Amino acid sequence: MSMTLTLAVLLPFLGAAGVAWGSRLGRPTAILLALLVVLMPAILILSLLDPLVAGETHLEHFAWLPAAGLNIAFRLDGLGLLFAGLILGIGALVILYARYYLAAEDNLGRLYAYLLLFMGAMLGVVLSENLIQMLMFWELTSLSSFLLIGYWRQREDARTGARMALAVTGAGGLALLGGILLLGRMTGSYDLSIVLASGDLIRAHPLYVPTLLLILLGIFTKSAQFPFHFWLPHAMAAPTPVSSYLHSATMVKAGVFLLARLFPALAGTWEWNHLVAGFGMLTLITGAVIALFQHDLKGLLAYSTISHLGLITVLFGIGTPLAAVAGIFHIINHATFKAGLFMAAGIIDHETGTRDMRRINGLWRAMPYTGTLAMVAASAMAGVPLFNGFLSKEMFFGEAVGVANAMALGWLLPVAATLAGAFAVAYSLRFVHDVFFNGEPVDLPRHPHEPPRWMRVPVEILVVICLLVGMLPALTVEPILHLAVSAVLQGPPPVHDLAIWHGFSPAVLMSILAMSGGVIIYSVRKPIYGWWDTQGGRVDFRRAYERLLQGLLTLAGRVTLWLDQGSMPRLLRLFVAVALILGLAGWWGSGSPLTGPLTLLPLDAVSLSTGLALVLAAIATLVWHRQRFTALILVGAVGLMVALVFAKFSAPDLALTQLSVEVVTVILLLLALFFLPQTTPEDPPSPRRWGDAVLAVLAGLGMSILTWAILTRPYESIAGFFLERSVPGGGGRNVVNVILVDFRGFDTLGEITVLALAGLAIFALLDKLRLSGQRVAGPATAWHWDRHPLIVASLVRLLLPLALLVAVFILMRGHNLPGGGFIAGLITAIALIMLYLANGVAWTHARLPDKTHPVIGAGLLLATLTGLASLLFGHPFLTSTFGHVHWPLVGEFEVASAMLFDLGVWLVVVGSTLLILIHLGLMSDASRDGLAPGTPVRGSGAGRSAGDSPPGPGC
Amino acid sequence: MLLLAPLLIPLVTALLTAVLPAHPRLRRGLSLAGVLLLLGAALALLVAVGPAGRLSVALGDWPLPFAIQFVADGLSAALVLVAALLGLTVLLYQFATEPANREAPGLQPLVQGLLAAVVAVFLAADLFNLYVWFELLLMATLGLLLLGGRPWQAEAALKYFALSMLGTLLMLAAVGLIYGASGQLNFGALAVASQAPGVAPGLTLFVVMLLLAVLLKAGAFPLFAWLPASYHTLSPPLLALVGGLLTKVAIYVMLRLSGQVFSATPAFLYEALGWLAMLTLVTGVLGAAYHWDLRRILAFHIVSQIGYLLLGIALATPAGAAGTAFFLIHNILVKANLFLLAGLIWLSAGHPDLRRIGGLYLARPWLALLFLLNAFSLVGVPPSSGFWGKFLLVQEAFAQQRFLWGGLALGVGLLTLYSMSKIWLEGFWKPHPDPTRLAGSQPQGDGGPRLAYAAVTFSTLLVLALGLYPQPLIDWLQQATAGYWAGFGPA
Repeated sequence: MSMTLTLAVLLPFLGAAGVAWGSRLGRPTAILLALLVVLMPAILILSLLDPLVAGETHLEHFAWLPAAGLNIAFRLDGLGLLFAGLILGIGALVILYARYYLAAEDNLGRLYAYLLLFMGAMLGVVLSENLIQMLMFWELTSLSSFLLIGYWRQREDARTGARMALAVTGAGGLALLGGILLLGRMTGSYDLSIVLASGDLIRAHPLYVPTLLLILLGIFTKSAQFPFHFWLPHAMAAPTPVSSYLHSATMVKAGVFLLARLFPALAGTWEWNHLVAGFGMLTLITGAVIALFQHDLKGLLAYSTISHLGLITVLFGIGTPLAAVAGIFHIINHATFKAGLFMAAGIIDHETGTRDMRRINGLWRAMPYTGTLAMVAASAMAGVPLFNGFLSKEMFFGEAVGVANAMALGWLLPVAATLAGAFAVAYSLRFVHDVFFNGEPVDLPRHPHEPPRWMRVPVEILVVICLLVGMLPALTVEPILHLAVSAVLQGPPPVHDLAIWHGFSPAVLMSILAMSGGVIIYSVRKPIYGWWDTQGGRVDFRRAYERLLQGLLTLAGRVTLWLDQGSMPRLLRLFVAVALILGLAGWWGSGSPLTGPLTLLPLDAVSLSTGLALVLAAIATLVWHRQRFTALILVGAVGLMVALVFAKFSAPDLALTQLSVEVVTVILLLLALFFLPQTTPEDPPSPRRWGDAVLAVLAGLGMSILTWAILTRPYESIAGFFLERSVPGGGGRNVVNVILVDFRGFDTLGEITVLALAGLAIFALLDKLRLSGQRVAGPATAWHWDRHPLIVASLVRLLLPLALLVAVFILMRGHNLPGGGFIAGLITAIALIMLYLANGVAWTHARLPDKTHPVIGAGLLLATLTGLASLLFGHPFLTSTFGHVHWPLVGEFEVASAMLFDLGVWLVVVGSTLLILIHLGLMSDASRDGLAPGTPVRGSGAGRSAGDSPPGPGC
Repeated sequence: MLLLAPLLIPLVTALLTAVLPAHPRLRRGLSLAGVLLLLGAALALLVAVGPAGRLSVALGDWPLPFAIQFVADGLSAALVLVAALLGLTVLLYQFATEPANREAPGLQPLVQGLLAAVVAVFLAADLFNLYVWFELLLMATLGLLLLGGRPWQAEAALKYFALSMLGTLLMLAAVGLIYGASGQLNFGALAVASQAPGVAPGLTLFVVMLLLAVLLKAGAFPLFAWLPASYHTLSPPLLALVGGLLTKVAIYVMLRLSGQVFSATPAFLYEALGWLAMLTLVTGVLGAAYHWDLRRILAFHIVSQIGYLLLGIALATPAGAAGTAFFLIHNILVKANLFLLAGLIWLSAGHPDLRRIGGLYLARPWLALLFLLNAFSLVGVPPSSGFWGKFLLVQEAFAQQRFLWGGLALGVGLLTLYSMSKIWLEGFWKPHPDPTRLAGSQPQGDGGPRLAYAAVTFSTLLVLALGLYPQPLIDWLQQATAGYWAGFGPA
């Protein structure tokens, strides 16, 4: 398996890193390394020349992502060879040139590294066989050109220009990806060999038009076609070597390369002809006209580049084989003369310190040699006979005339071509005349003279090529043109004759018209400039782009701020509304009835009264919600009603749990309430509140309906298994507890971890927090003057052992009778909290640790270890075992390993609950100060002490 | 045991680090050891499961479907490994940027608790058990948000908690309702029950509620507000951990539930999900374009990326599932990297607001390179991991004739590119408005800057490898998700 091409493409990437590193050793090393990196791929590609000339296409395949139809695949055919030649050849010249162009303080190594990166990406584009892989390199050219354009990063215009180029070409790249994906769907492959052979299939496919549009979007943005051309002039903020590389032979040529590449697959339809030729024509004219009015040397060249790219696009749009020949030919010619011109402009800029043509005049005296070179290249640009630009332009005129009869509105094309030709002559004339003649220089920052010898060499080479091709086309350019065109057309090229003189034809007439027209336009330039300046960029697509971007950002701001205004109620409203909508949609979509087939039980007094009490308590909470203390008590009542419901439906465990949770919760909230205002500020009545009420009622109704739907359906579940297996399998008669610690002990392990983490999190929050309660409170909140009444304190101390005993009892019997670790833990916590409440923090603190981390840890550890122990016996995690022991006096007693687990639960519940409660209490200054228990608060009456010496929340 | 080790290791580590609050260095050592062990366990699990294999354990040795079941398949094993890798990176970064004695004692246990919850969600095959781990996830995140106890943190934590808790409650209600309607909690049994003729239509409504709760957790439109409201108060390493994992875990659950458990869900739900995905994509990226604070930009990108993930689920095909899975792994890593890099940018330039920083290109070239690589990956520049994720998803969208979805997914990439280039231009290329602040600041932790950079570099290399050679992972995930939307396999 040959991997010559693969290596050739990858070498510049590796080389980029190498050069970036090697440039530390000085500029000569950097340039040598960089040239070496260019040379190696060139040698590799040349080694494949023989079979290519014989007409074979060289392919290399490696499996990469076969599942997605993606291989690393490279291909070398005539088109690829031509472009690789341009990329490497002009690349080498640019590297040489940049060495002299770049100021000493600029980092040459980095520029080379970016250039080589870009070069590798370009090589990848033109040598890829796989289209997705081509796209990858395509995107890499966008990115590396971003880095190149923004090379002078400290300059604002460089940053904007870089970003604009990236945005436009990046958008095109995405469209192109879409187009390629569609191509892949049509042909079943991303390989060019297959895609190029399936032209008929593609053109007949219903997705042809969208595919074409997407791909053209990619091409037009890259090749700066109207109306996407605006990024290119802004890319002129790049150092001139970069411009001369990107805008002559590479970057922008990637677009027209793809036009040529996909020509056999896409061309030949009405849509192709009109879109490609149409936009090409617009670009051709726009670029040519605007170029004349640029006062910036590089600006002129930039718009001229746009115009020439339009010319090439038109040629491919015309779609005849001869037009394709002309297109390829013009690609070569434009690359050579434009690279030369950019370099010349760079020399002038470098020597004079400015690029403004209103100031640079009469340089002929200072730089005759550079002037000569520039004149030759400019003549080629203008299409003057004997220079290479003339030949391809002449062919273009010929093709344009051919179209005039073939297409509707076809007569427009020759007219446009001639007009653009005239403007091309005019701006070329301006480039030469304004800069080298036209009076004296105006206020130049530097005194100009000829540049160093080696800075001129690249320009000389390019100019010589322009001349040779222009005079001896058949000898010089014909072989490579032949190869490239065969690749584009996927067949033998048409008969063409690269001669300077073909005899009289409409094309010659057009050339003459363009020449003379150009001279006339230039001679009346002054009034035209004036007219242009008054127009002041009426059609400015950059402004459109900026407005688009600005609009998008405004939209972004609006949407973002609308969605999140930082208001919690709004977010909650949104959530409930979405839940309602989705719920409705889900019900509607499923088409299932809401009431199940079960018959309802008869209504009994207990259920009815509990239910009514529940509803009343809930409504009362709503009514008195502004009195927070009252509301809290009422919420507690709701909880108690729920406990009653549980009891009614024979779930004593749930009732017990609910009861103890309710107690702990209310205490907790009471503690928290101490630090908060005692009443909720009143909301003014507003339509929104009514909306909220409706929403809340609907949500409650929805939940009730769902519950109804479940309760009226027959209930067949895994619960039966638990009931059956509880005693024989779990060793306990209390099924709820066996489920908690055995059947689904794993859930419980998770839940106690949650509880433990909640304890830790709240501890983390409260540990450093100091609040004095009441500071925000009104006078009604000094809860009581006697904070630790003696009787309560004594009673609680007496009760404590009893309460703990109850807790242990509930823990122990849990496996068989209502109870268990969770309930026992809560009871223990309540008992200990009583101690705090009755005796105060200072007193309790001296006797109990306030950090219960070890308790929590021990509990979790115990639960986990119980689970792990079963592994020792070869059973899965948390497998339980049980046995019976005879306990003297008590009798037969059942011991299950799950009870150890339950003990762990107990410890975690005690530890976490206490941790939270104690630290809520400790948060207050009063508790911290360790006031002696029973110290009466000054003023001894409710209300008068507010703000002076706040008491703790009952601690 | 192999199956439970990835859960038990962080759980026990959380425990140990919580009980030893007085020894910061010991705590860190334990935590690191825990993560390394987790990594080893995750690797062992991955090897044992293989791409198309399946390991299952019934807890307590009870018969299925009555016991709680843990299942590892190719996808969950891969995700466990990713979580472990992320844990390691984040921990090292944390060591490097904060001195041990200034670290909040709750941090390590909460981090480990979060890891435990994430791993457990990946492995649980029981609806209620899944809910339990979601609760743990919520609690651990809440704890991390509260660490430090500053007022703005409390505000962020409150917003997170209130909204996220609503989602959790809704999830609990949905689990209860589904249990009531089907009588099952085990995934396999639910998959069978949900296709039973009598149960299936009644179940749809409850599944919708469950999915809504998961959508909230995932940060989907229009329920994502909790995410940008809270994330930016976390310190960079914690932000990377939370931002990398939290929403992605919900996506994983969504994928598993819709693809394997409730695969009979009617098509209109997927249609709705697809459009939600599009809205999420667009609103997320618009939010990112609007903001200037690095952390907020990245937080909104999380939302936007969730859109891609939802798109893959909405396509409801094995290929869509594989695409989602690949995107998921890519996104966890890249997102975390970017948050860590944002932390380094902040440290180096003195502020997280792009308008007030600059000049990092010259001052921190390595940081620039790392940022560029990860940013490219987030944007989806080929050949980065993000490109493959998008490629797989868009390709499948086109194959399903969802041209608009696919097109939008591509187009949004442009806005992502815009906001990444904003960070690059403002943070790296633009000269720093106050160069004195650029001078010496470097991470101040125990390991020093090198450790922080090493951690991010390591993680970036993973992303890079995923981009340059995605075949093994894609292959693996395609095998792992081959059975999606085709019913749950035999237990």
